[in-house]
Amino acid sequence: MTQLSPLCLLLLQETSGGRIAHAIEGVKHPDLSKFLVIAAILFIIGVAGVLTRRNLLVIFMSIELILNAANLNFIAFSRYLQDTGTGNPMAGQIFTVFIIVVAAAEAAVGLGIVIALYRNRETIWIDEIDLMKW
Amino acid sequence: MILSGWETVFFWFFSIAAILAGLLTVMARNAVHSALFLISSLVSVGALFILLGAEFIAGVQILVYVGGVMVLFLFVIMLVNVGAEEEGRAPIFNRPAQVAAALIFSLLLVVALLAAINKGYVGLRDRDAAALKQTETTRSEQESKMQTGATGVSRITTQTESVGMSLFTNASLPFEIASLLLLVAIVGSVMLARTLKQEAAADDVDSEVLGQAPPAETGTDNI
Repeated sequence: MTQLSPLCLLLLQETSGGRIAHAIEGVKHPDLSKFLVIAAILFIIGVAGVLTRRNLLVIFMSIELILNAANLNFIAFSRYLQDTGTGNPMAGQIFTVFIIVVAAAEAAVGLGIVIALYRNRETIWIDEIDLMKW
Repeated sequence: MILSGWETVFFWFFSIAAILAGLLTVMARNAVHSALFLISSLVSVGALFILLGAEFIAGVQILVYVGGVMVLFLFVIMLVNVGAEEEGRAPIFNRPAQVAAALIFSLLLVVALLAAINKGYVGLRDRDAAALKQTETTRSEQESKMQTGATGVSRITTQTESVGMSLFTNASLPFEIASLLLLVAIVGSVMLARTLKQEAAADDVDSEVLGQAPPAETGTDNI
């Protein structure tokens, strides 16, 4: 990587693109925004899973993915507050602990509902569970 | 918070792994495969937590999510039968129109979130530029103050200590409420997952509710 960087710099001077240099700098030194982008992508994958899948269990797993993306955001901002020295840097991590607790409770109750549903309706496909539809 | 050196390599490895595993979680045909991909995604996010200096949270993530929640998921997958989906006889996604609408919504969400992050982060960085410049020196100073481990190579962080201090001073009331929530969740899931036979044996449900004939003793008392 260190051998390549003079080459990259030369290339950048040729194209005179400050944006590209900035982008390469961002790849070599990821900061808060990269973590936020990763968390946003994970969140959206979870949302797409909830909206598209037929299997109730996979929908639950997508919800876990969404909660985890929120956790990543909290931890990234916690680190950012540690670095800037403003606010309470531990608050994000405490929030994350509580999100994990709530996710565990949610999974236990949700899976209990899935088992009860499967016992009564013999299916876990959400388009066949339509008792309350009109 | 600017990572450098090997941290950068680990950051890109684990973030790409998390996203790929997340995608495969959503797209896998077999629910067991979905669960296993979700486990690898959660482990990758746990590694990102370690990169962010939150070692305790990473440990909690692995223990609670991978060790607890995902094992529960796997048990339930084994209990409910999803054979038709695995064998390719049934579609795994909703109807095409619904999927198209959901994907368009997700794409809009991608564009909006990335634009918002970009704009918001530039403002935040400009505001805190002076403070961020100092952190490089203060962080290495803090790390040199940490206690050295038994091997003499690594250093022991005080991060767990500060999480504990914060948890039991600032957040002691939510902590107690969380314990109550877990109790309610345990009792609720046991109640939900009971079979009819177990409910009859538990003796706290009226037999008429279960739709069974009342026992003979109560019948003779009425005459």
